[in-house]
Amino acid sequence: MSTHPALARHAFTRGAIAILPLSLAVAPWGLLAGSMAIEANLTPLEGQGLSAIVFAGAAQLVAIGMLKGGANLFSILLTTLLLTSQHLLYGLSMRPVLSDLPVRWRMGLAFLLTDEFFALVSQYDKQQFNRWYALGVGLTFYIAWNLFTLAGIVLGRNIPHLDQLGLDFSIVATFVALIAPVVRNVPTVVCVAVSLFCSVLFSYWHWETALVAAGLLGMTAGFICQKFSGARA
Amino acid sequence: MTFVVIFGMGLVVFLNRYAFIEPRLPLRLSSNARQFLGFAVPGMLTAICGPIVFLPNHQLDLSPSSPYLVGSLVAIVLVLLTRSTLFSMLASMAFFFVYRWWLNGA
Repeated sequence: MSTHPALARHAFTRGAIAILPLSLAVAPWGLLAGSMAIEANLTPLEGQGLSAIVFAGAAQLVAIGMLKGGANLFSILLTTLLLTSQHLLYGLSMRPVLSDLPVRWRMGLAFLLTDEFFALVSQYDKQQFNRWYALGVGLTFYIAWNLFTLAGIVLGRNIPHLDQLGLDFSIVATFVALIAPVVRNVPTVVCVAVSLFCSVLFSYWHWETALVAAGLLGMTAGFICQKFSGARA
Repeated sequence: MTFVVIFGMGLVVFLNRYAFIEPRLPLRLSSNARQFLGFAVPGMLTAICGPIVFLPNHQLDLSPSSPYLVGSLVAIVLVLLTRSTLFSMLASMAFFFVYRWWLNGA
């Protein structure tokens, strides 16, 4: 199936515009990923390489800390595996729309599959899904992430207490605006409540899999609740 | 040496992302599995927000004046009232920073 170039361009632009707020929201994290790399005595090329090749904020920040502390390769890779395990869930969830695409698209969009990509693109089913829209979302976010990393590398140590400025609220503001309209029935309320409680508890306990474990428990609670209310109705 | 780590991490993250998208993986999603995965957006995005809102600086902060907590509530109210993701995101961020500045100044 080939798409008319004008339509493809239109869909790509729509995706790029849709991800714009989230691209700006990650500015503080991108800056932090760049400046922390320099602070940990990585070369600018290595700092940029992390964002260009790994492209996973939380894993990058933790890995930089571990490199600084002299951790070995295996423990860094294992931590990365655990910290980014929510992507398994995203892949599974988007399997119906992504697995039928040609291999180039499949691998390309998989590489661009982030929390933010999932937040925007996963709402479309097979009929509504547009690969160019998805590419617009993913590629714009990738470019923004790398530009902010570059800015962080250039500014380096000149950014004073970036982590104390409360810039991480930008992520919350965006995700809350995406979640709140979806919470329309009891099972979703249960899912959100369980996920919220567990994520705070597990993070407090310093679990490396805190987020994915909390998310899975929340999803399970919502699912069970839906099954029960369905059986009663 | 650092680049070995970087490429290794890149591979691990890509495999996490790609594993379940591979069509040759013998896996068909049942209707139950699909219903379960329908909760992925609220479940996962909430889990990402939880620690940022309630554990700033890795300490539990449940006080009603916490800018993260109040800011989140403002964001929820705004998006439910206006239905505009972009507006409520920008307005709640503006609120958050003004409120924080006011708390620190007072």
